[in-house]
Amino acid sequence: MHIPDGFLDARTAVATGALAAAGLGIALRQARVHLPPRRVPLLGVTAAFVFAAQMVNFPVAGGTSGHLIGAVLAAALLGPSAAVVVVSSVLIVQCLMFADGGLSALGANILNMGVLGTVGGWAIYHGVSRVVRGLFGRVLAATFAAWCSTVLASIACAGELAVSGTVAWRLVLPAMAGVHALIGLGEGVITALVLAGIARTRPELLEPDAAIEPRTSVAAVAAYGAVIAMTLALFASPLASRWPDGLDRTAEALGFGEKAAPPVLNAPIPGYEMPGIGGDALATALAGGTGTLVVLALSWLVARVLVPRARVDDPPGAVGEP
Amino acid sequence: MTAAIEVRDLHFRYAEGTRALGGVSFAIAEGECVGLIGPNGAGKSTLLLHLNGLLPESWDGPGAVLVGGEPVDARSLFEVRRRVGLLFQDANDQLFCPTVLEDVAFGPRQLGLSEPEVRERVTAALAQAGISGFEGRAPHHLSAGEKRRVCLAGVLACGPSILVLDEPTSSLDPRGRRELKELLRRIPITKLIATHDLDLVVELCSRVVVLDGGVVVAEGPTVEVLSDEALMLRHSLERPHALRHLHPH
Amino acid sequence: MRRDFLDPYSRLDSPIHRLGAGTKLGTALGLVVLVLVVPTSRPVALAAVAAALVAIAVCSRVPWRFLAGRVLMLEPLVLGVAGLALLQPGGWRLFLFLLARSTLCLGTMVLLSNTTPFEDLLRVMKAAHMPALLVTTLSLLYRYLFVLVDEAGRMKRARASRTFTRRRAWAWHTGASVVSQLFIRSSERAERIHAAMCARGWR
Repeated sequence: MHIPDGFLDARTAVATGALAAAGLGIALRQARVHLPPRRVPLLGVTAAFVFAAQMVNFPVAGGTSGHLIGAVLAAALLGPSAAVVVVSSVLIVQCLMFADGGLSALGANILNMGVLGTVGGWAIYHGVSRVVRGLFGRVLAATFAAWCSTVLASIACAGELAVSGTVAWRLVLPAMAGVHALIGLGEGVITALVLAGIARTRPELLEPDAAIEPRTSVAAVAAYGAVIAMTLALFASPLASRWPDGLDRTAEALGFGEKAAPPVLNAPIPGYEMPGIGGDALATALAGGTGTLVVLALSWLVARVLVPRARVDDPPGAVGEP
Repeated sequence: MTAAIEVRDLHFRYAEGTRALGGVSFAIAEGECVGLIGPNGAGKSTLLLHLNGLLPESWDGPGAVLVGGEPVDARSLFEVRRRVGLLFQDANDQLFCPTVLEDVAFGPRQLGLSEPEVRERVTAALAQAGISGFEGRAPHHLSAGEKRRVCLAGVLACGPSILVLDEPTSSLDPRGRRELKELLRRIPITKLIATHDLDLVVELCSRVVVLDGGVVVAEGPTVEVLSDEALMLRHSLERPHALRHLHPH
Repeated sequence: MRRDFLDPYSRLDSPIHRLGAGTKLGTALGLVVLVLVVPTSRPVALAAVAAALVAIAVCSRVPWRFLAGRVLMLEPLVLGVAGLALLQPGGWRLFLFLLARSTLCLGTMVLLSNTTPFEDLLRVMKAAHMPALLVTTLSLLYRYLFVLVDEAGRMKRARASRTFTRRRAWAWHTGASVVSQLFIRSSERAERIHAAMCARGWR
């Protein structure tokens, strides 16, 4: 999901950069307030951990393999703001050290995975684990949230590509969301396995007060909410297609190369009709809703397997003890 | 004369309930080099952390750690940390900066020195540790022996009057061990060395403290204590090769 | 232990390596923006950037096979997204254009990362007054990246040496337990690092 350079137009790059800076800024501020000096090194080491964990391969099929992304895992372990700093740091290093993810797309990548995927995933994790208590609830919540986080980030990514005029929304949305709905299943299962593994050896690391930010202030929630809402409004809604664009002109330029160059910065796209709000959108919403429910049921199953019923009501400290 | 370090009836229990120290007392005189030996889990590392005020939970409890006659507490903490240089067991834990220069400069910068003074200290410390010119190297490009020396330089750059070392020769090859030993011999300040490397103790330390189960079980001149076969075996230690040919008494 | 597996060439000595990190970062950003503003109607302009990149690559003395390998390694990502353009009528021209554009940017970034040690970029960030917590996190990330990747590798090998099945479920189980142990060790390491920082006067 790392967007390379060359796929986003300047408008999108600047907008996503600004939103990412806002999100990361809020996170840094929050982390500074809540982080005891004792745990400052934890952020950097956890970031290195996420990076190293991404190098552990999980075989899928036919010789291909996937790996953990780790946004929800980090958020479940450290709380949302610290996780935003951690995941964003990983993305920055991947971009500057390994050319993985473009420099001009760094803002978009931080926004999608570091802010949206992490804070959004954490909100779902937090919400679900409040309804379903105990370790079982936490594993269920993390599995579901990891899937949602992956899909959410991919939808924003699709929106950014569409708004940039690189690919049409109606092509890129199903492609990205479809692929990441599958990747998200893997992410969910790995996150669940890892959390359950940690709970077996060091259950206290999963306690809510082990997170750096035990309580998120209303102001922080509002600020994160604003960033996420703006991102979704700009890149993940039918509005995305309404953004005035010079695409048609660019398409013409593509067709008739002799013509004067159109305003710079626009990748071309044929004059396609962007997504409607009519039947198409309704079908998409229905499919999305059904899929989400199915994943929630699957998450329940995964959590049930990893945390057998007998243990559900145990105090978390008792898990893993003989 | 006040001792460089004095530990008085020190107790410590980790939060999860493990008792690590159960009333440890000993003293180290100015300029002495003392070995701290004992089996795994004897409480050696926990004791060393106390000498740097890194386990503040125990300040309220019974017992005390005195550095230069001053008890270690919240008030004296930073002065204690400046005077007692602690070399950690895992070099990777101690080398937390991306370059050697920044790592060695970390301590002096915390002391509020000016940048030229910091550079001066770094150069001197690197020279003292025998790794001049390593400033620009990255820790992950160093060998185990070089990492250990950088750690030592980082500690020396703070200008400590007491050096406390936790397993300084672990994970070093024989040559690295020999070189580190020579290096330590040339550093003229008070030293406390916690180690399983009994040959190192024989060569460097005039006195040893034996710790087991969180208490001091023996204390005395190195040769005398280490030659006591029965004592050594009782505490999962053994008489070092260097003393095999000696016959005490 | 392969200590150099992640950035083997960033510490070579060449005219490019000797340039300031800020200059290189600025140039890279400039080149990327330049490539992005080249309109579709002027693909020739991209050739000029390509020539500049080749010149820089030659001066940098980083083996070209390595550079090409790195670019190719990351290319599937580009192909994946650019491939979607093929589904549109007349998309092949767009596809080629996107491919060229992204490959050039990729080349720029691969060159930047292999001629500039990350700690130099960190210094640029510090000088640019980026938030201290972020710079600290990045610097610890860079420092412990190598340590933890090694640690994960050792754990994986230790498990592999006692694994006698090809079952996929087992591989997942093993992978996840490596990751969870890695986190536990990381959080313990963070505490030891904090102690080491305090021991040298950090407050």
